[in-house]
Amino acid sequence: MTLLDVRDLSVRYEPKASRPLDAVQGVTFSIEPGEFVGLIGESGSGKTTLGTAVLRLLQRPGRISGGSIEFNGTDITDLPEDELRSLRWRDLSTVFQSSMNSLNPVVRVEGQFRDAIEQHSSLRGEAVTRRIRELFDMVIIDPKFMTAFPHELSGGMRQRVNLALALALDPKFILLDEPTTGLDVVVQHSILENVRRLQAEQGFAVLFISHDIGTVLDLSDRILVMYAGRIVEDQSAGALLREPLHPYTKGLLGSYGDPRDEIVKITYVPGRPPDLSRSMVGCSFAPRCPERIQVCLEEDPPLVPLNGGRAACHVAVLQRAEDGAETFGEPKRGFEGPQFVKTADESRSALTNEVVLSVENVSKVFERRRGLTVTRTQAVSDVSFELRRGEVTALVGQSGSGKSTLAKMITGVETPTQGRIVFHGPDGDRLVSGFKGRALRAYRSDVQMVFQDPYSSINPAKRLGYVLSRPLVNYQGLKGEELRERVKELLERVALTPAERFINRYGYELSGGQRQRVIIAKALAVEPEIIVADEPISSLDVSIRAEILELLNDLVKENDVSILYITHDLLSARMLSDEVIVLNGGKVVEKGPTLGVIRAPKDDYTRSLLDAIPNPF
Amino acid sequence: MTYFARKFGFFLATLWAVVTLNFLIPRLQPGDPAEIMVKRMAGKDAALDQAQVEAMRAMLGTPTDSLWHQYLSYLGELIHGNFGLSYTYYPFPVTEVIAQAFWWTIVLVTVAQVLSFVGGVVLGAYAAWRRNSRFDSVVTLGSTFLGTLQVFWVSLLLLYVFGYSLGWFPTSGGYEEATPGWNWPFIQEAISHSFLPAFALLIVTPIGWILGMRNTMIMNLGEDYIRLAKAKGLPDRDVALKYAARNALLPSVTGFALALGGVLGGAILVETVFDYPGLGRLMGEAVEQKDYPLLQALMLLTTVGVLVANLAADLLYGVLDPRARRAE
Repeated sequence: MTLLDVRDLSVRYEPKASRPLDAVQGVTFSIEPGEFVGLIGESGSGKTTLGTAVLRLLQRPGRISGGSIEFNGTDITDLPEDELRSLRWRDLSTVFQSSMNSLNPVVRVEGQFRDAIEQHSSLRGEAVTRRIRELFDMVIIDPKFMTAFPHELSGGMRQRVNLALALALDPKFILLDEPTTGLDVVVQHSILENVRRLQAEQGFAVLFISHDIGTVLDLSDRILVMYAGRIVEDQSAGALLREPLHPYTKGLLGSYGDPRDEIVKITYVPGRPPDLSRSMVGCSFAPRCPERIQVCLEEDPPLVPLNGGRAACHVAVLQRAEDGAETFGEPKRGFEGPQFVKTADESRSALTNEVVLSVENVSKVFERRRGLTVTRTQAVSDVSFELRRGEVTALVGQSGSGKSTLAKMITGVETPTQGRIVFHGPDGDRLVSGFKGRALRAYRSDVQMVFQDPYSSINPAKRLGYVLSRPLVNYQGLKGEELRERVKELLERVALTPAERFINRYGYELSGGQRQRVIIAKALAVEPEIIVADEPISSLDVSIRAEILELLNDLVKENDVSILYITHDLLSARMLSDEVIVLNGGKVVEKGPTLGVIRAPKDDYTRSLLDAIPNPF
Repeated sequence: MTYFARKFGFFLATLWAVVTLNFLIPRLQPGDPAEIMVKRMAGKDAALDQAQVEAMRAMLGTPTDSLWHQYLSYLGELIHGNFGLSYTYYPFPVTEVIAQAFWWTIVLVTVAQVLSFVGGVVLGAYAAWRRNSRFDSVVTLGSTFLGTLQVFWVSLLLLYVFGYSLGWFPTSGGYEEATPGWNWPFIQEAISHSFLPAFALLIVTPIGWILGMRNTMIMNLGEDYIRLAKAKGLPDRDVALKYAARNALLPSVTGFALALGGVLGGAILVETVFDYPGLGRLMGEAVEQKDYPLLQALMLLTTVGVLVANLAADLLYGVLDPRARRAE
């Protein structure tokens, strides 16, 4: 019997201040007992709303506006909270997206297991403790952490604890909502393996929500692809990889590539998802779709059975109809959109340019004083490398590897404890060390930073024109018409065109990708020699990451800017960088031309980073 | 444990600094208290009689030795609880004057503060839990309205309506004819006299707690651990109390401890309007009369009160929020 049966489910948000929005529109799917189903889509596609609705945890102003949810034969769509409570956690449990915050900060971990277990079972006292110990063993955490407070655990451990908590009552169904987003790749990998193993042993069903198609393909039996509040494709993982039906799925698959190839191509989906608060005619993906035909703009494609799965695409259906291939062409596997190509040749030539920054045997020790005791932490030890003009060097490592500390020293914020950093600028060599005031300002006109989170690095109270004019006024003293022209030029340089349309908008009105473009434009304003980019794409949707990588790559090619690219992701390092430096525990464990390192890693740590990249191909 | 030890160390250091400043500041002021007293007694325009001033100095025991010796003897006197004589209530010692006012204020203001805090936090939490309900609207709008009123104005209004017009409560003082002490007639009189001042405080002080608690709790209700608690199928009561309110209470605890510390300063405006024989009124008088010894002692009492409350808040916070213990 079907475990979870969702029919024609719609969720509507009705905020007082703005137009109502249908976040989920007539979604139908089912999950069998013990099945592992992936749900992918970009941010704003409604996947988390769908998950929340299935758990009946929607909060106002959101509500289920139509359809039904049947769990294990019981219709729970309108079940009163009192009756629902007995199902919760015993049958339906969950691990949330940001489980950093999903444990009560003032209660010991044990207490948070205990209340759930005692609420739903007859276990009490010592028996509960035994059960918690068992659960900790399952997720491979030392049971001594039972008495810890949540803040005393690392991010990975907290996530494991949340997983253990979800398993506490042997539920039939677990919703995993991006359970490893924000964790280090290696940790992420081991947690997901743990999930898969436990699922195989215990046979619970999973709905796994993620924006990362690689991970989803690695883990799931079947995959649902969601776009603009609807399911556009539903296929088994193998079939989806072999023959994706919907162009959007092809776009998502295209954002992955094998970093070991001589020439790597990754595609991106241009444009942005539609505004769900406005009604639209035709297929919601049509404006971004390279395969669209006339009917796509006129009729909304229904989700119909196709190739053993389901898809909502006119073209896919027509091509597979009898004689369809003659009229509409053979089905295509790839996404014929814009793509970003990186060849190994380009890198080879970059590595012969003159050096703009040399890092010589740099170490950094942090001292923390408390009373008379001093604790020393060696954040970076004996790191040396050179950055050349028009070259991209990737600093790869997980959090705590010292890559951010190194970046701080290179941007002149911190002073190295040992060794030296020399910037070979247009005005001669300059020793870089903990600049302050005027010196830091001067250095900033040569070395700029691009931060990870484009959502919080633009002043929300100012228009983009103003945001971009600040560095121009401060560093070049431009004003009036000249200033306006430069701002427009910058916007166009990062492909925010036509510039007039963006100059008077606010940062929060833009998509993540567009915001990151603004940040890059801001960094370019002072015409720097070096840009230090700290995880510039990790908070962006997979489908648009390539477009930012391409922009950065163009800057390097056209303007001879050098980029120090800080990341934990080897695929993006391969796409962008000519040389890669792998850091672990503050030390350089491996260094060399990117392709060489990726093809033949010498260090175990590099190998574990490579293994952690989901590779469905 | 180091958390608590460190907090206690800071407390002692600050206490010493306060005591020392309390010694230094009056001595840095221009003017001679003896001269001022003589002037006040003789009238502003009369010429100063040096003999009178000398006599006054002798009487007040104004010291003539070095600052260092003064400091040492000040510390000595402090330890023995000796603050000198009040100018206004001459020849009563400051300690005695304060002791008389002390309990009036402590009982009135502490009771008012505790009731305000408990009531405010409960109302705020419930309003947050039932946010956008009618209850929430009434509480929020009501608090915002009452919050715009000044406490002395509320006091005058109460005094006029319940004291003069209706005559239900006495209009001034702390008691009438009964002998102060543990006897029923006195307690009855004390309660009826403190009713209106307490009422005035209870109208105004909970506002901050209500709005503060409501806002933090609404923010907390959006946290993932609340969603998870609901997903765990815990009863609403548990989610509201153990998860939401427990966390939302944290910021208020510090505020409450500080408010309790402020009790020793009395409620100057309310006590003055009701002519209530507490520390607040006393402080008002001391300022008006330039009664330095009294003022100095009251200041010290207030700051020590705040310091002790601060320490208590820190310690309590350490118990309530495990993150604070490790934060530094």
